[in-house]
Amino acid sequence: MSSALGSRAGSHDLYRRLDAFDRSQFGLEQRYRALDRFFALPSGREKPGRFWRVDFETIAPPAAQIEPGAGTASITSRDPAAVVCDLATAAREHPQLLARAFDTSGIAATKFGALARAFTGLGFFAYVPADHACDEPIEIRYDSPARAAIFPWTVVLADRGARVTVVERVRGGPGAFVCGATEVVSAEHADVTYAAVQQADADARIISSRAARPGRDSRMAWSVAELGGELSAGDLHVAIEEPGADARIAALFFPRHAQHVDLVSTVEHRAPEATSETLVKSAARERGQARFLGNIRIAPHAQGSDARLRDDALLLSPLAHVDSVPALEIGANDVKAYHGATVGAIDAEQIFYMESRGIETSAAERMIALAFFEPAIECFPSPELRDEIRAAVAEKLT
Amino acid sequence: MPELGLRIANLRCRVAGNEILKGIDLTVEPGRVHGLMGPNGSGKSTLALSLTGHPQYEVTGGATLDGEDLFALSPDKRARAGLFLSFQYPASIPGVKVANFLHAARQAERPGDLPPAKFRALLLEKMEQLGIDPSFMGRYLNDGFSGGEKKRLEMLQLAVLAPKYAIMDETDSGLDIDALKDVGRSIAALRESDEGRNTGFLIITHYPRILQYVVPDIVHVMIDGRIVMTGGHDLANRIEREGYDKIRDDKHRTGAVV
Repeated sequence: MSSALGSRAGSHDLYRRLDAFDRSQFGLEQRYRALDRFFALPSGREKPGRFWRVDFETIAPPAAQIEPGAGTASITSRDPAAVVCDLATAAREHPQLLARAFDTSGIAATKFGALARAFTGLGFFAYVPADHACDEPIEIRYDSPARAAIFPWTVVLADRGARVTVVERVRGGPGAFVCGATEVVSAEHADVTYAAVQQADADARIISSRAARPGRDSRMAWSVAELGGELSAGDLHVAIEEPGADARIAALFFPRHAQHVDLVSTVEHRAPEATSETLVKSAARERGQARFLGNIRIAPHAQGSDARLRDDALLLSPLAHVDSVPALEIGANDVKAYHGATVGAIDAEQIFYMESRGIETSAAERMIALAFFEPAIECFPSPELRDEIRAAVAEKLT
Repeated sequence: MPELGLRIANLRCRVAGNEILKGIDLTVEPGRVHGLMGPNGSGKSTLALSLTGHPQYEVTGGATLDGEDLFALSPDKRARAGLFLSFQYPASIPGVKVANFLHAARQAERPGDLPPAKFRALLLEKMEQLGIDPSFMGRYLNDGFSGGEKKRLEMLQLAVLAPKYAIMDETDSGLDIDALKDVGRSIAALRESDEGRNTGFLIITHYPRILQYVVPDIVHVMIDGRIVMTGGHDLANRIEREGYDKIRDDKHRTGAVV
């Protein structure tokens, strides 16, 4: 993918592009500093090697692809009690609400989060007031046209006792570059589910940074399906800073042909008596490559934490490759922590059993592979969305 | 007119280099019930799995199903030809729901014969016959099932697929008397149905107990990879009385009919 990569040599062009962005909002000075960080910071991701062919340190959008106003985006909510608007409107009309969540997660201090911060413009803000439950999901779409670069930034703020589900769909045309960020902040007893389904074109590059900070005794769930793109790099972060929070991460990805997926999930237990569960299901076909790094960090004072991490990868072709690295750092002594990981081909006994019921080998493999994803698919919030994901996975199995 | 029956001739089978089956000749005729008894390790399950087409078994000899050469067929085609094995240890497949699996199997074996609503009705009827809770339909295939639940699910598949020939591999093991009676009733119900009137059964067991609930027409005894004795229902009673040791001692009577 070297042809599509930017380089340091072209970095002046990226700075020049900043001048085209709105100076009055999100701070031109902050944009410059964010771009500095993007160039200065290491990605912290795997270096290219025998299996891995992506060099994250040299990834940058071609400056010529960057236009303010590029891409189409929409947000739909039928709930008049929720505040739902684009970021610029939120900055103008709800600055105090926005400030409670926007740029508070530390995303902008990471390499690609800083890139998204530098070119912030496209994006939405959703606020759900205290004790209000949104019965229908808030739906967000981001779509990058071919050979464009977009930097969507989504902010969700759920007040005390609020309940909301957000469904985000990302698409990108051929050669698109999408570098997005999502921040979710909730107050006590809130219940937030954020589901994201990415189905970009096969040679698009999609980088996403997602961070949540759940309130005391609240529930926060990330459900993420990375299905498209030549490169899909994701960072899923939950910082538990209040006791009693329940955090769920479910992720699935399925690289095939020349697709690469690099996913890092991190759950930080920095408060006592919180639970977290991370569930990752992946498959790879042809020369598809994926890496998953699952971090669980339990701080010394986070007693009574209960953290689980389960990660299974299915290899459907001899050249497919999935690296799976669970990483637990446990500083407290009164905790429960579990992790389990498997990487392997479909079990021959399962195929034989299905064949013995008249089901052809290829159909059996399809059913088993689809089924393999099912526990992760079931974490997505609506039957329609789950069917959409099943159809996309089934498509990748044909 | 093809020769009817599940006809096995001089079947030999090696597993991981060891010869387990040393020349089996056996014919299961349509509508008949055969009991196949023998001590642990005699090769009964190997016979079942080699007929079904287990990928790791090296098989020589012949087997035909109503004239069709089984060993020329892949396992799925053998099933579509009408062969069914009730597994002793069925695989669990998390994520595949029982109802979807059964529908896929029925569609594979009898394409388009039942619209989904009728299939569902059939499934519910068979589940009731077997004393299976309808919640089974939404569970994942054998995932977290108890031994007894797995056996009931195998029986449900037998009922739904109504094969021409059914091999029941130790369906009785791990079942209590009530469950065993359900198995007996379910086989009887299949044999009384239009679809299953001509089904031939090969009931593999280690204890004679199940044969009180499904009375066999013919009983075979297998020891060390060979059928050493064939007889009527009485043979099962004799094994109950005397055990396999006596028969092992009388091995010179290979093939003798008592």
